[in-house]
Amino acid sequence: MSSENLPYLDPSEIPLEGSAVQRFKNRRDAFWSGIRDASGTPATVLFFGMVGFGAMSKTNGLDVWLTSLSSLFIFALPGQVVFLEMATGDASALAIALAVTLTSSRFITMTVTLFPQLHDRDRNRSLYAHVHLLAMTAWSVSMREFHSIEAKHRLNYFVGIGLLCWILAVPGTILGYFLAGRVSTAMTLGLIFINPLFFLLTFTEVKPWVNRIAIALGCIFGPIFYFLDRDTSLLTTGLLAGTLAYMIDRKLLRKKPGVLG
Amino acid sequence: MDFHFQDWGLWAALVGASVGTYLCRAIGVLLSGRIHQDSEIFRWLAAVTYAMMAALIVRLIFLPVGLLATVPLWMRILICALSFGVMISSPKRRLVAALLTGTLLIVSYGALR
Repeated sequence: MSSENLPYLDPSEIPLEGSAVQRFKNRRDAFWSGIRDASGTPATVLFFGMVGFGAMSKTNGLDVWLTSLSSLFIFALPGQVVFLEMATGDASALAIALAVTLTSSRFITMTVTLFPQLHDRDRNRSLYAHVHLLAMTAWSVSMREFHSIEAKHRLNYFVGIGLLCWILAVPGTILGYFLAGRVSTAMTLGLIFINPLFFLLTFTEVKPWVNRIAIALGCIFGPIFYFLDRDTSLLTTGLLAGTLAYMIDRKLLRKKPGVLG
Repeated sequence: MDFHFQDWGLWAALVGASVGTYLCRAIGVLLSGRIHQDSEIFRWLAAVTYAMMAALIVRLIFLPVGLLATVPLWMRILICALSFGVMISSPKRRLVAALLTGTLLIVSYGALR
């Protein structure tokens, strides 16, 4: 509730007014601000990621329904590309589902860090519906902005970002699917290259040594397991290289705090 | 390659993958406020995820199937290296510029070859 037209009863209220404590007028305002904040770079990157995914799926010969429903229901590009890569081979349904689920395990960490910041009133069963809108985009923008938003407006802001991204996912995928093959081969090449390149570039943001070691080991073991058994290689590489990196970090690095900062 | 688009196996995989992904989101809601993000299980899960993503990227860039395989390996590596260079050229990370660099380079290669 805004008290713009009321005289201040206490000078200490002045700095609160119009600052972080009352950044949005109401929940609707918070929601639309979320939409506005998402509509620049975050939604653009996500949209082109989905366009790229649709194009990859088309050139790999997958069905348009399967492709667009994966954007609606998985709604996580890394998992979707894992799905696509494995579905192109002869991997079993179980191996595909397991590999995609493991890729999505980062959502547990993301939710655990984001949702405790919501207002107590919003922390109820409806979160089980809202959480589907959670993806890397909505998470990173929310994590950046939440500290300057009143707790009671945070959920609406988050839903604004997440909803815009989710709504764009399927049209982006379908657009990419139909563009691939209709535009020139050179353009199609550009479309299918977006996601591999994007994932590669995100590695520059990885700071913890345990994850950097996991990436290095994944690069080494990945091709080895690929030639041993293509269909399960992502799963086996992830489990083996990931566990190995975790053990190296736990047994060696954490005991010598000076070694790697 | 001959694919059966309505192959039940792929649909079963999609249902499994969607349910599994949603479960991860839901488990996060269930645990939020009760577990710390630095728990050992999260460290292990993050390591597994990154190892799997690394394997995926190596596969997409070095061992691609389909159209990307028509671009020579050295060209794929060169384009990735240039984009990577643009990305780390600024401490604030030029993600959009780096993405555009890589995409435009591969489109130009495709147009000029």
